[in-house]
Amino acid sequence: MGLGLLASKAVRPASRILHSPNPRNFLLRTIVSKPELKKPEGAAAQTQPEPPPVDLPPRTPVAGARVHFDNPDDAIEVFVDGYPVKIPKGMTVLQACEVAGVDIPRFCYHSRLSIAGNCRMCLVEVEKSPKPVASCAMPALPGMKIKTDTPVAKKAREGVMEFLLMNHPLDCPICDQGGECDLQDQSMAFGSDRGRFTEMKRSVVDKNLGPLVKTVMTRCIQCTRCVRFATEVAGVQDLGMLGRGSGEEIGTYVEKLMTSELSGNVIDICPVGALTSKPFAFKARNWELKGTESIDVTDAVGSNIRIDSRGPEVMRIVPRLNEDINEEWISDKTRFCYDGLKRQRLNDPMIRGRDGRFKAVSWRDALAVVAEIAHQTKPEEIVGISGRLSDTESMMALKDFLNRMGSDNVWCEGIGVNTNADLRSGYIMNTSIAGLEKADVFLLVGTQPRVEAAMVNARIRKTVKATQAKVGYIGPPTDFNYDHQHLGADPQTLLDIAEGRHPFSKTISNAKNPCIIVGGGVLERKDKDAILATIETIAKNGKVVRPDWNGLNMLLLHAAQTAALDLGLVPRSEKSLESAKFVYLMGADDVNLEQIPNDAFVVYQGHHGDKSVYRANVILPAAAFSEKEGTYENTEGCVQQTLPAVPTVGDARDDWKIIRALSEVAGMRLPYDTISAIRARIKTVAPNLVHMDEREPAIFSSLPKPDITEKVSKTPFGIAVENFYMTDAITRASKIMAQCSAALLKK
Amino acid sequence: MAWRGNISKYLKELRFLMCQTSPASSTARAFVEKNYKELKTLNPKLPILIRECSGTEPQLWARYDMGVEKGIKLEGLTEEQISKALQDLVKAGESLKR
Repeated sequence: MGLGLLASKAVRPASRILHSPNPRNFLLRTIVSKPELKKPEGAAAQTQPEPPPVDLPPRTPVAGARVHFDNPDDAIEVFVDGYPVKIPKGMTVLQACEVAGVDIPRFCYHSRLSIAGNCRMCLVEVEKSPKPVASCAMPALPGMKIKTDTPVAKKAREGVMEFLLMNHPLDCPICDQGGECDLQDQSMAFGSDRGRFTEMKRSVVDKNLGPLVKTVMTRCIQCTRCVRFATEVAGVQDLGMLGRGSGEEIGTYVEKLMTSELSGNVIDICPVGALTSKPFAFKARNWELKGTESIDVTDAVGSNIRIDSRGPEVMRIVPRLNEDINEEWISDKTRFCYDGLKRQRLNDPMIRGRDGRFKAVSWRDALAVVAEIAHQTKPEEIVGISGRLSDTESMMALKDFLNRMGSDNVWCEGIGVNTNADLRSGYIMNTSIAGLEKADVFLLVGTQPRVEAAMVNARIRKTVKATQAKVGYIGPPTDFNYDHQHLGADPQTLLDIAEGRHPFSKTISNAKNPCIIVGGGVLERKDKDAILATIETIAKNGKVVRPDWNGLNMLLLHAAQTAALDLGLVPRSEKSLESAKFVYLMGADDVNLEQIPNDAFVVYQGHHGDKSVYRANVILPAAAFSEKEGTYENTEGCVQQTLPAVPTVGDARDDWKIIRALSEVAGMRLPYDTISAIRARIKTVAPNLVHMDEREPAIFSSLPKPDITEKVSKTPFGIAVENFYMTDAITRASKIMAQCSAALLKK
Repeated sequence: MAWRGNISKYLKELRFLMCQTSPASSTARAFVEKNYKELKTLNPKLPILIRECSGTEPQLWARYDMGVEKGIKLEGLTEEQISKALQDLVKAGESLKR
C-alpha cells in the first residue's frame, strides 16, 4: 500500500462528512483557518502519485444525478478527486462533480436556469490551471483533473463566503429563510469563523412585488436566480439588475408588481431570505413543520406538492420534484390557495328549517332525512353532480349509489351533455406533459393554457424557447408569454385548416411532431362533437397521430374531470336537472342553480360554504384535499393520490364514507367499507385509476367513429377560466387569492 | 345481428377492460377495433367505456338497471366468442327487465 493511498483513505471520511446531506453533520467540523489553508500552493506541494481507481469506493451521484449519452463517442473522462467519471461532452465541471458524487456549494447556479457564474462559490481547483475555476461555468474537458477538496478550493470558498457576508445583514433570527437558507448552511460548512469587515453594511430599499412575494433586498446576494427565472421560465421581463458594483440591486426598473402566474417560485429559488413568502411571513419555522407529500387539485395538472402543516393548520404549500409533470415549479394558485382551507368551512351536518336558517344536527338525523326523501323520489328525478375537486373514490361511490337508486343522472361539473367518454384517447393529453417538449408545432384550440394550466403553459414556453416551435392559437384574444400566431376566434378557422384553405394547415403537415391541444371548455359547447370531428380531420391530414407520436390532446380544466370521464360520469340529457326533484351536489359549486326547480330537495356535500350552500336543504360536511386520502387523475392520465396532512374540520368526514353511510341508511348498502375495497371496485370500471403514480397511455386513437351529422356553429370560442386565481371553492374562500385578483388582474 | 341494436334497451353501460399490449388482450382489442363503430352507431346513447391499463386481463362488463352488474372474462376467447358473450349479457339484461 503506497503512501498516497493511505493519505487518500485518511482524507476520505472527512470529505464524506462535509458533503453529507444531513446538515447536522456540519457541526462536527469546527471552522478554523489552519496555517495550511493559508498556503495557496498547498495542493501543488502534495505531489503524490495518483491512487489506482480500482481501490476507490464507489460513489452515488448527488441527488440521483444521471447521465444520458446521446452519442457514445461524445463521452469524455474526467477525474474528480482522483475518481474517474464518464460524462457527455459539454457538461460543466460542476455537473461532472455531481455525477461523481461530490456536491459543490453554489448560489447562482441552478440546473433549470441559464448559467450566470457570478457568485463564485463553486470554485474548484483544476490541475494545470493557474487559479481556481468557477465550476458552474467551466466546461469539462477530457482528462481534466478536478480537485474539490484541496486547501486551495477550501480557501477560495472561505474567501467568497467572507465577501458574500460582507454586506449580508446578520438578521437570521428574524429571517423567514432561517433554517432552510443556503447562505446559512454554506457559511456553516465552508465559511470562516470571523470576518475582517469593519465598515458599515450597505442597505437596499425593499421592492413591492405584489401580495405574494415579500422582499428584504438588503439580504440579496445578487445571484440573479430570480431575474433569470422570471425571464426564462416565467416569461415576464419584470425583474432585472440595476446599478453596478456595491450599488447593484435587483428590482423591477419602475414601480411595478410582478405579474406572473409562477411568481411564487422565486421564493424557492432564492438562496437567501431576500425573497420570501408574504403570506407565510413570521408564521412558522421550517423545523416545526410536518411535510406531507400530496397532489395539487386547483387545476387538472396535478402538480406534486408538499403540504407543510403545524398541528391542525396548513402553514404553506411547496413544490415537489416531478420531471414529468411540474418539474420543480408550481403555480401561484397552487402555492397560495391554502388559506382558503381555513375559511368558510362546513363543520357540522345541517338541515335548513322552515324559517330558512340552517340548524346543526347529528349525522344520524341528517342521513335519515336525506335517505327518506331520496326514497320518496322517482328514480329518474334523482340527480347527482360531483364537483371540480372530487376525488375518484367519492365519484365512484356517488355513481354506484345513484345507479342503485335507479338513476342514471350522475355527472361531473364541466362535462357537457353526452360527451363521448368511450375512448380515453379522446379526453386525455396523449402526448403527455413532458412529451410536449418534443413537439415542433402547436395548435391551441379554444384553450388559454396560461390560466387553465400554468404548468402546461410553462412546458410549452420551454419548448418554444428551446426549439422555436410555432404556436397557432384559435380563440378569444388572450395573454401569451411566448410568440404565437392568432389564427382566429371561432370554429370557422378550424374548418379552414381542416379543408386546407388556411396557411397553418401547411405548417401542421410540414411539422415533424405536430401537437394539437383542445381546451376543456370545448366540452361544454353544444357543437362539441362536430368540433372534435373537425379536429380529428386536421389530425388525419397533418399526420398528428402516428404509431410513434400522438399529438392530439385535450387539456382539461379541473382535478376531477379526467377520473370522472374514466368512470363515465357524463350527463345523459339536457333536461335532467330541470326536472329533478332530488339533487345531490357533491362539492359541485359551479352548477347553474337557477336550473334546479324550486321544489327540488338539494343536498350539498362538501367542505366549503360556497355558492351551492345557499340553495341547499341539507349540508353534509366533507374533508378537503388536504385532509383525506384521495385519488386524482391529471389531464395526461397520470394517477396520483393526496394524503391527509391535517385533521378534518369539526364533524366532517371523507366524501366516499358519507355516501357509503347514506347508502346504508337508505337500505341499499354499497359493498365496500375500506378505501382498498372501493379501489377494488374502481378496478372493475377503470383499472388505470388504481395504478398509482403511473400514466397509462391510451390506444385506439384512430378508431373509426360514427359519422357526425351536426354542423360546427359560428359561436366563437369562449374563455374557460375568467379569473385564474379563483376557480373553485377553496380558492374562492382564500383571502390571498382575493388580493391577487384585486391587485394583479387590474385591467 | 339485430340484437346489437337492442343493447341500449337492456343495458345502461358497457365496459371493455383490456391491456394495451398483452397477447391475452389481443382478441379483445381486435373486437373493439372492428366493432366499436357499429355498436356506437346502433346505440348512440349507450356509454361503451373502453378502458386500457397495462396488465389488465380482458373483461367485459355490463351494467343493468338498478346498478346490477355482470362481468365476463375474455381471456382466450376469439372475436366471435366475445360477440357471443356480449349477446349473452344483452340476453341477461332482457330477462332482468321482465
